[in-house]
Amino acid sequence: MANNRHCDVIVIGGGIVGSAIAYYCSKSELDITLLEKKELASGTSSKCDGNILAVDKDPGFDSQMSLKSQNLVHKLKEELEIPFDYRNPGSVLVCENELEMEAAQRWVDQQQEAGLDFRMLDREDLRNESSYLADDLFGGLECRTDSIVNPYMLTYAMGQGAKKFGAKIHTHTEVKNLYKNQKKIFVLETNHGTFTANKVVNACGAWAPYIGEMLDINIPIKPRKGHVIVASRQKPVASRNVMEFGYLISKFGGERQVDPITEKYGAALVFEPTESQNFLVGSSRQFNGYDTKVDHDVVKHIAKRAVRFFPKIRDMTVIRTYAGLRPWTIDHLPIISHVEEAPGFYIAAGHEGDGISLAAITGKVIEEMINGFETSIPTEPLRYDRFSMEERV
Amino acid sequence: MNKDELIICRCEEVNYQTLRDTAHKYQCTSRELKLRTRAGMGYCGGRSCRLMVDKIANSNEGEQDLTYISLKYQPPVRPIKFEDLGGDKN
Repeated sequence: MANNRHCDVIVIGGGIVGSAIAYYCSKSELDITLLEKKELASGTSSKCDGNILAVDKDPGFDSQMSLKSQNLVHKLKEELEIPFDYRNPGSVLVCENELEMEAAQRWVDQQQEAGLDFRMLDREDLRNESSYLADDLFGGLECRTDSIVNPYMLTYAMGQGAKKFGAKIHTHTEVKNLYKNQKKIFVLETNHGTFTANKVVNACGAWAPYIGEMLDINIPIKPRKGHVIVASRQKPVASRNVMEFGYLISKFGGERQVDPITEKYGAALVFEPTESQNFLVGSSRQFNGYDTKVDHDVVKHIAKRAVRFFPKIRDMTVIRTYAGLRPWTIDHLPIISHVEEAPGFYIAAGHEGDGISLAAITGKVIEEMINGFETSIPTEPLRYDRFSMEERV
Repeated sequence: MNKDELIICRCEEVNYQTLRDTAHKYQCTSRELKLRTRAGMGYCGGRSCRLMVDKIANSNEGEQDLTYISLKYQPPVRPIKFEDLGGDKN
């Protein structure tokens, strides 16, 4: 098939990150093509929740990056044609004991210092938050800038926005081989012919290492499996995102005071009301290869955890469960970086559970890097070469 | 009765016209059609409308070479209460 097509930039991966890159790059008039092996939002971006959070980010660089992303998404609501269920109610973390309250206070202090809109909540506040919350909770904290989107609709909306700015999107197009030819042009062989580009962005999330391998680039990302439960609308349980403080500990790998199986599965409550009035309940974290089959025992422990925090949902109904792969990195930060070993090759992957939160800022920063503009956030902590050679292998 | 107004997904109240127009506009697979319209995402998990959603998506005369796959099944087999799933009853 003589199907040779050339453009300036090719982004591989049509998840929320790839779509954001296609959107911001095409908006800045770059000639960009997106290649997706299945269809838009068919991997992690449709097997997750839709929280755009600063509440669970390390205070400082990490939480400020989220705040920037929140501001961009706020604008996207006006810019994009397709609605994506955007809401901006803030979010809440709840504490089970005095120890967590003390840690929460430190968290709030640090976040406030970093310029974010955080404050502590007492028992009375929790009662006002939701009449479904357990009576024995000590209190918690809130972040008022946090927002919620429908992740696959935002992916579709950015994809369509990118097309309007002239981006080309090829779905069901899998990159089988990637190399640089003698003229230093990237050649991408796919099941639908060959493409060429001056620059390539790897936005394949948990699958990014496979693309890296084609250029002999080791990308230290591992798939981490996470389960989500969908529960049916009956009565409104809470109006915004509620998580247990232990989620932070589970995320950053600290010691929690829970039973060994809950600990093993990394099961921690994340509650998200959706636009359809259903609610999502997570979460779990497991290293289990690329398997996305729902594990009944994990789901059982997530349900248990949900009932511990919301006892009165015990007779509400679970209608669906699913699992997705979070692209994990050792320091919990994504890789948003040019790769010096392969000039013109960029990585935008490794967001673990923060891909929805950070997609917009990731797309923006890649666009700025490619255009040679000053980036919206410092990119030093996101560099590919921050990992030691040992970690890369 | 007008065929367009026929409700295909009763749980999410999605009618035939919405499904047909969305399928036509986006030339998409049944999975994407489901996500864009919410047909099949309600209480019964698509047990009533799954075949019709598949059929509407796959009757597109699109140019795209789509792999015709039908909608997947996700657990649980039927809706289950939180307490039966994770409560101490187990």
